[in-house]
Amino acid sequence: MRPSAEAIADLALVVGAIALGIFLLVTGVLLATMWRYRLRPGAPEPRQIAGDLRLEIGWTVAPLLALAAVFVLMLGTMREIGASLPIAADTDRIPLRVTVVAHQFWWEYRFDGGAVAANELHIPVGVPVELDLVAADVIHDFWVPALAGKSDIVPGKTNHLRLFARQPGTYEGACAEFCGVQHAWMRLVVFAEPEPEFDRWLAVQGAARQAPAGEAARGEQVFLRNVCVSCHALRGTGAAGNGAAPDLTHVGGRTTIGTGVLRNDAAAMRAWLADPQRYKPGSAMPLVRLDPGDLDALVAYMESLH
Amino acid sequence: MTTAEVAAVPRQQAGDRYALWLRTVDHKDVGILYLLTGVAFFVIGGLEALVLRLQLAAPRQGVVDPHLYDQLFTMHGTTMVFLVMVPLLIGFANYLVPLMIGASDVAFPRLNALSFWLTLFGGLLLYFSFVAGGAPDAGWFSYAPLAERAGSATSGVDYYILGLGVAGAGTIIGAINLLVTIALLRCPGMTFGRLPLFVWMVLVTSVLILGAYPAFSAALVMLFLDRHLGAHFFDGAGGDPLLWQHVFWFFGHPEVYIMALPAFGIISEVVPVFSGKRIFGYRFMAGSAVAIAFLSFSVWAHHMFAVGLSTAENIFFAVSSMLIAVPTGVKIFNWLATMWGGRIRFTVAMLFAVGFIAMFLIGGLTGVTLAVVPIDWQVTDSYYVVAHLHYVLFGGTMFALFAGAYYWWPKMTGRFLSERLGRAHFWGTFIGFNLTFLPMHWLGVQGMPRRVYTYPAGVGWEGSNLAATIGALVLGLATLVFLFNAARSLRGAPSAPADPWDAWTLEWATTSPPPTHNFEAAPAVRSARPLWDRKHPDLPDR
Amino acid sequence: MIAHRAGTPSFFGEKHVLAMCVFIASESIFFLSVIAIYLAYRQATLGTARANLDVTRTFLFSLLLFSSSATMALAARSPGPRGRRWLLVTAGLGAVFLGGQVSEYVRLLAGGIRPSSDLFGTTFFTLTGLHGVHVLVGLVAIVAVAAVSWLRGDAVRPTAWESVSLYWHFVDAVWVVVFTTVYLGTFV
Ligand code: HEA
Ligand code: HEA
Ligand code: HEC
Ligand code: CUA
Ligand SMILES: [Cu+2]
Repeated sequence: MRPSAEAIADLALVVGAIALGIFLLVTGVLLATMWRYRLRPGAPEPRQIAGDLRLEIGWTVAPLLALAAVFVLMLGTMREIGASLPIAADTDRIPLRVTVVAHQFWWEYRFDGGAVAANELHIPVGVPVELDLVAADVIHDFWVPALAGKSDIVPGKTNHLRLFARQPGTYEGACAEFCGVQHAWMRLVVFAEPEPEFDRWLAVQGAARQAPAGEAARGEQVFLRNVCVSCHALRGTGAAGNGAAPDLTHVGGRTTIGTGVLRNDAAAMRAWLADPQRYKPGSAMPLVRLDPGDLDALVAYMESLH
Repeated sequence: MTTAEVAAVPRQQAGDRYALWLRTVDHKDVGILYLLTGVAFFVIGGLEALVLRLQLAAPRQGVVDPHLYDQLFTMHGTTMVFLVMVPLLIGFANYLVPLMIGASDVAFPRLNALSFWLTLFGGLLLYFSFVAGGAPDAGWFSYAPLAERAGSATSGVDYYILGLGVAGAGTIIGAINLLVTIALLRCPGMTFGRLPLFVWMVLVTSVLILGAYPAFSAALVMLFLDRHLGAHFFDGAGGDPLLWQHVFWFFGHPEVYIMALPAFGIISEVVPVFSGKRIFGYRFMAGSAVAIAFLSFSVWAHHMFAVGLSTAENIFFAVSSMLIAVPTGVKIFNWLATMWGGRIRFTVAMLFAVGFIAMFLIGGLTGVTLAVVPIDWQVTDSYYVVAHLHYVLFGGTMFALFAGAYYWWPKMTGRFLSERLGRAHFWGTFIGFNLTFLPMHWLGVQGMPRRVYTYPAGVGWEGSNLAATIGALVLGLATLVFLFNAARSLRGAPSAPADPWDAWTLEWATTSPPPTHNFEAAPAVRSARPLWDRKHPDLPDR
Repeated sequence: MIAHRAGTPSFFGEKHVLAMCVFIASESIFFLSVIAIYLAYRQATLGTARANLDVTRTFLFSLLLFSSSATMALAARSPGPRGRRWLLVTAGLGAVFLGGQVSEYVRLLAGGIRPSSDLFGTTFFTLTGLHGVHVLVGLVAIVAVAAVSWLRGDAVRPTAWESVSLYWHFVDAVWVVVFTTVYLGTFV
């Protein structure tokens, strides 16, 4: 088994070569004609030819043959990718199932067993991962080019996509269907890691928050006192959220904030919490006014949530 | 009232002159009004594109805010499709069809003027949105549920619905008019087998318009009801958002051939004349257009390969999309065969025609790669599609329109365009165009989605984006050269004879510009090239 | 140049008639789109449709519309005073049909069914409403032809009668399809 992106790349290479061949052939003839038959002094009056049936048949049939070849190749690739998802039992491993909920403008990942993560997905290397794609509001699209092709995520419908990573690594992608004002910052990132590492990550995502200490503990109080809890869930604190904002239980463990718009560190977290609309105007995360002391505590708390 | 007569009206009556343009029902004047409207909107849509390009020149720029960016790309696409391509093509059709078939006007001159005014009014209505709280911001195909009230809160989408509804009504009426004109007003001897290919293309295009636009009107009505009466057609809560896509693309795909076939027609006029040879395979040229038209109603879901259709559906639409390459290829090959063995005069019109063949070829071939379902899964909704659509629409249709502009300008104005400036325009356009859109293929393959107002640094997209922006500026400058050329020509004295290019179709049998009733005497037509027969009595076409 | 064709006797050879036929063809696409959407949602709406539509009553009103096609044909056959009377009969039948539609709407609205209530309301009111608008346009056209012909005698070309008549038959034919889809469809 290999990532469907690889199968598609192979196909695209062949089809691209055919297209390039046709392009070179036709432009070659075009340029040669232009050169050979350009107006020259003394050139005779051209012969007036109405057409040629054999030629017409020839250049109708030849493209048909090329297309037939392309078509057969296409079927092969579609079969390999398993166009008829969800996957049957053709794999040697029981696939991992993840429900992906696309929101304006962030990602939610739900695992069997209750683990919930937001914005950053980890997958085990060498294990097929079956994504059930559902939309919370408008149409989005899940696209990590190095792993697989796209699938739209359509309200009222569950689509499926299979990810498979051969190599550990960080695979970037993006929401590819225009979904509103912050479509640009609905980035995707998938970390493929060896299975034990993945299992550890998954266990963490399933657990409640790490109990905070010191400044961070004060930050938790700030968090619970403020409007944050009306949107965000933070397991272990009683904050259940409203389902329309990322789960923050392990927000400190992510590499980015705001679905890709900022790199995750204390300074960026401070900037984000101080004015999210500055970095992601139009996202649903509002500006919540906090005094600087509270803000510092909140930042410390967020960054402690690994 | 023709332009020549209009121009002859003394200066102090300038007011009257404008009034005449308002009242005119002459097909030539209406044609020119369409063309002027198309050019004006091209400048507007082009400037919108320039803003998009400036914003994307480098990562994380703030030239425009995200919401304005969304309005600008929506308006850019909508303008170019509905207010540039369609008016320019219908403008040429209006001006040329009656002349080419030896008629004195279209079948319904007043209705013709009405079509134009509806189109213009629709366009103004669309643009009024900018001052009425915000332009449409859901893309040129306004996918639901983003285009529903919940997804797009300003009244922009309402103006999209009303503006395109009105302009679309104008287009439908125009198509009826052209169709009846071609069916009934052909002069004696002008059989269907002798129609200039441009007229053939207009005929097929009219049929496409009549088959496709009403579906769009219906979709607009339903979207409007969703937004204003709380109906549930496409809202995703009961209603199915994919139905919007089906109906839209049932219209939208034929629409792209509505924008392509008349361009093919222009090329089929220009290439033979400047090659000094009759068109190769006339009947295959006409027949392939009919084939394209038929097929174009059965390919729409190739815009929806990623939405999760069944495998059988995907395969069906992939096959019919690929099949369109066959009749389109027939056209390309016949143009080449026409040039082969000819005596090619590289006027600016011919340069654009040759540029068309090469650029459209690239766009067509990338189109076929998109029709291969798994490839589309990778590159749909990425800049690869943006590259494809500009290669066919700009490299294709727009190049053809420029070819037509240089070719028929003397006929319409009685004046010549400077060939020197024209060459500068051509090379500027050719180089600028490829610099803008060629790198976009690569951007798409690298993973850059379309319709993003900015992008992260360090993922390898900077160089291509910068190149595209520079290319767009070159394109803008080249367009300025064209506009300058046109203005300069109009200030000069009339100098064009009736038949400056040694051409063969009937429009060249009358003065430049033609008198109000087009022809003094009924032209004699015994073949597809009546003027050739007149010039070569020894060697007439069969 | 136009003159040589003007006398062409064939049906489609007359430009107004041809234009009307082409227009009707495009209108058919418009209705087909809406009907296709109606059918796409049929499963979801069938229950409400069965529970609320009064098929018999609407069938009786439909008979009036269908018969107005016949009276329209009689009118178009004799443009002039005689035809004018038939025109008025046609318009009358059409108006009563519209009245029937309105009363059906009033009843449904009173029962809480509206375009926003559910998919049935959405598709039912849209499809029948768009048809109703076309009937209304046809009525206006019929009355206009009758009025102008009454005021200015023969100023109305026979082709105008022919065109209006074609349009009316079309509106009628659309109702055959709509009635079958929406009303008779509840039996299947
Ligand atoms: C003038 C307009 C025009 C034309 C002519 C075409 C022509 C074609 N287009 Fe294109 N298309 C658009 C305008 C056009 N398109 C636009 C505007 C969009 C984007 C809409 C949006 O999303 O905003 C689009 C998008 C689009 C998609 C959807 C992409 C996506 O969103 O995922 C697809 C997929 O199949 C496609 C396919 C094709 C094909 C197969 C052709 C074929 O007709 C091309 C045929 C021509 C050739 C192939 C070249 C000549 C042939 C030969 C020399 C013969 C030999 C060739 C072979 C054997 C291959 N187009
Ligand atoms: C016929 C159709 C047509 C044409 C001609 C063009 C022309 C151009 N398009 Fe367009 N484009 C579309 C149809 C077209 N486009 C469509 C349908 C879409 C999809 C929209 C959507 O997603 O909804 C699109 C989308 C689109 C995008 C993608 C936006 C996004 O997804 O975020 C971009 C980005 O670069 C772009 C760029 C350009 C450029 C640079 C030109 C240039 O060629 C423009 C050249 C013209 C000028 C520059 C103006 C004239 C010059 C002057 C007035 C002189 C002044 C100039 C200077 C001072 C330099 N277009
Ligand atoms: C009205 C709902 C709402 C409120 C109130 C709210 N947020 Fe958010 N928050 C969001 C949404 C929605 C996002 C996702 C933004 C995006 O990426 O588009 C978000 C994102 C975040 C993120 C980044 C998460 C990530 O993984 O990228 C942090 C951290 C955060 N919020 C903290 C807070 C804190 C702390 C408060 C209170 C001071 C708060 N939020 C109040 C809705 C809310
Ligand atoms: Cu979500 Cu674009
Ligand atoms: Cu298409």
